[in-house]
Amino acid sequence: MDSFFTRYRNLLVLLAVLLAQIIGLAVQVRRTDSGRNSLDPRDAAGVRLIRLWADAVVTPPEQIFHATKLGVASLWLNYIDLRHIREQNQDLQKTVDRLRLEQASLLEDARQGERLQALLNFQQKYLYKTLAAQAIGSSGNDSSRVFYLDKGSADGLDRDMAVITPEGIVGKVREVYPHSAQVLAINDQTSGAGVILESTRTRGILRGDAAGRPQIIGILADQRIQPGEKVLTAGGDMVFPRGLPVGEVVRVTPDPDRDSFIDVTVKPAARLDQLDEVLVITSTEPHFSAEQQQDMATSEVLKGAEVTAIKEQKTASQIMAERLPGLADPNAPPPANPQPGHDQVEPSAASAPSAPKLLHPQHPDRFTPGAKPQPPQGEETSAPAHAGRNP
Amino acid sequence: MSLLGADYRRDLGIRSYPLLVYALAPLAALVLQAWLPRVMHGYAWFDLPLVVIVYFALARRDPIQGTMMGAGMGIFEDALTHHAIGANGIAKTVAGFLAGSVGARIDVDNFIIRMMMTFLLSLLSGVMYVIIFRVLLGLNMEWRGLEELMKAVGSSLAAMVLFPLLDWTQIRD
Repeated sequence: MDSFFTRYRNLLVLLAVLLAQIIGLAVQVRRTDSGRNSLDPRDAAGVRLIRLWADAVVTPPEQIFHATKLGVASLWLNYIDLRHIREQNQDLQKTVDRLRLEQASLLEDARQGERLQALLNFQQKYLYKTLAAQAIGSSGNDSSRVFYLDKGSADGLDRDMAVITPEGIVGKVREVYPHSAQVLAINDQTSGAGVILESTRTRGILRGDAAGRPQIIGILADQRIQPGEKVLTAGGDMVFPRGLPVGEVVRVTPDPDRDSFIDVTVKPAARLDQLDEVLVITSTEPHFSAEQQQDMATSEVLKGAEVTAIKEQKTASQIMAERLPGLADPNAPPPANPQPGHDQVEPSAASAPSAPKLLHPQHPDRFTPGAKPQPPQGEETSAPAHAGRNP
Repeated sequence: MSLLGADYRRDLGIRSYPLLVYALAPLAALVLQAWLPRVMHGYAWFDLPLVVIVYFALARRDPIQGTMMGAGMGIFEDALTHHAIGANGIAKTVAGFLAGSVGARIDVDNFIIRMMMTFLLSLLSGVMYVIIFRVLLGLNMEWRGLEELMKAVGSSLAAMVLFPLLDWTQIRD
């Protein structure tokens, strides 16, 4: 037995290591309701711990490399690349003279640009709260299009936050570590972003293919979808806010697996393979400046006072309406059909909306219109006295 | 016969390195593999961890060391992706085992042989990675033969630079 283990020691070690990893893989895969296998989007505690360790090992050197790269670039731009500055200065002086002439014509455009810039700044400040971060590393694997940011949970990042650039969307935060975060790019095969085509208003899901090209899959064939059409976020995926630029359509091809469906290849607006600085949307709640918040508070106070005044006015009207006598009694029973010969008249009959009719007086007298005065005997004494008070 | 020959060469040719090299070389390979693709904008067609695994497995001529180093670095690489941990580990484990086994049987000082080994094991690792995903896990992953081929070529070119550097660090009697 001892010689068996000695002789096949290498193979036994190999099998043991392979077996352990296969069991580990089996734990991470689950079968969905549709009968297909998929990886659990939420890592188990053990898997997350391994990822955390790996990230803790890789991120500090990556941050040093990134800082070194920036330092070298700065050194190049600020010193080495300035050796021919005198010659360039003369050329620049000539350029300045020429530009002064152009300045007048460009002044109006500049003012317009300033206005547009102010609008853009307002929009950016108004909409979402964002956090700038640097892309410092990647997975190092072509089939896993994730990259790492130099900000983590300590900076307020959380899972499923949208990552964007001014050009367009980039991806979403998949995993967060204390001082770094893993971002799943929109061109990964396992990503999914709800998008909408700008002009045809066709909705679909954007994900990457094996080569890292974003595609909108599973949409019905539509002749109107043409290359060049803009693609925007649809806002239904609970990650990306609605209306952010995604890219533009570059190719429309039939779906190889399903008839009457097409795959739309999209050129991403953001340069996904050359990312340096990105913005992470940390809150989709409207983010207002201090002045805007003050204005809104004032507006709310005024609005509240107006609403209160309207309510008080309504309450007063209701009270007045209840106190004043009305023609209709809401508590009265339904009107009975008047019987000829009966003198009893229901009160509601007087309030009927039809043309008013003359009521039959219970005791007609001489003042009754169209009736001859025939006073009854029982009221003979009182009627003249009552009538005598009338003018 | 082959075992005797392997033992004979093992006794003669096992290389030793400072402990710092054992620790730093794999770490540097992993960090660079994660960082360089960001700098090279998607043209990082090489697998530095595999180069290091192949180098140490060949130099140490020990399949078990190759297996353990392949498993460790493969799992580390998996941990940096969003895929299942173990797919790259298995592929690199097999690559390390084969490199160590071959190193015990052939002359690994030959530069061409080491380059060929790196090329073939890089291709094998790529194929195994896709097979594990599609067959073992039942997940979708497309096979990109051209890119794997370029990656194997790139790894061989990286080996041309790294192998002499690592040879320089070995302990000489």
